[in-house]
Amino acid sequence: MSAEKNMPRFRPVTDIIEQEDGFLVSMDMPGVAKDALSIELNDNELVVSGKTAYDFGKAESFVEVQFGNGEYGRSLSISDMVDRDNIKAGLKNGVLELFLPKLDKVQPRRIEIKAG
Amino acid sequence: MVLDFNSPYVFPRHFDRLFQEFFKSSFGNERKMAYPPINLSEDDKIIYVRSEIPGVDIADIELTLHDKSLVIKGERKAAAGKYLRQERPAGAFQRVVTLNVPVDRDKVGASMTDGVLTVTLPKAEESLPKKISIGVE
Repeated sequence: MSAEKNMPRFRPVTDIIEQEDGFLVSMDMPGVAKDALSIELNDNELVVSGKTAYDFGKAESFVEVQFGNGEYGRSLSISDMVDRDNIKAGLKNGVLELFLPKLDKVQPRRIEIKAG
Repeated sequence: MVLDFNSPYVFPRHFDRLFQEFFKSSFGNERKMAYPPINLSEDDKIIYVRSEIPGVDIADIELTLHDKSLVIKGERKAAAGKYLRQERPAGAFQRVVTLNVPVDRDKVGASMTDGVLTVTLPKAEESLPKKISIGVE
């Protein structure tokens, strides 16, 4: 456990793009395998966390080190217009892509007025 | 329309960051200097160049081996749409790694896993240390 506590923590850089039917959230998480990634949804908070497991050779001597093992963690508050049951997630080339679809009821609807 | 993706109460986080930055090792500072970050290492026979390049397919990365350097080139494309937040870098990038020993050009290998590029450059035969036996007469 103590070794894990010493790992540096990063906030993964994130893009949020609004599309017609939902929001596309992309997070850079290089070095994180699918098994080491967890996405949790509590009420209106989406918590993403992941860990890298680089296993560089022990026999190697390092000349330059600009990245290493670390923990990624970030939470996003989701608005009420997101359809929580249909959130999709995919991991490709070290980028986590979340798609948060908009609820149907957010689409503008015409309200009929009945004459009394 | 209210789009609340993050808590407006960011002060504690800033505070955390300040502390993190204060205690960070030097590699944290170098991280910001050049993109993409590179790890360079070697063992007896091979030079390893590793780089974190998330979101780029290996087919879109251009690796060129010059006389004394390895050039990693590529482009991160940004998706189209209305950006509510953009933190990920986009655009072309290039990094040059200077090699101080000759490498075996025909056996250079490259692979990509989870957004991490690994290039292996075997050292050329003539640069490997040789044992010279001294005959006693």
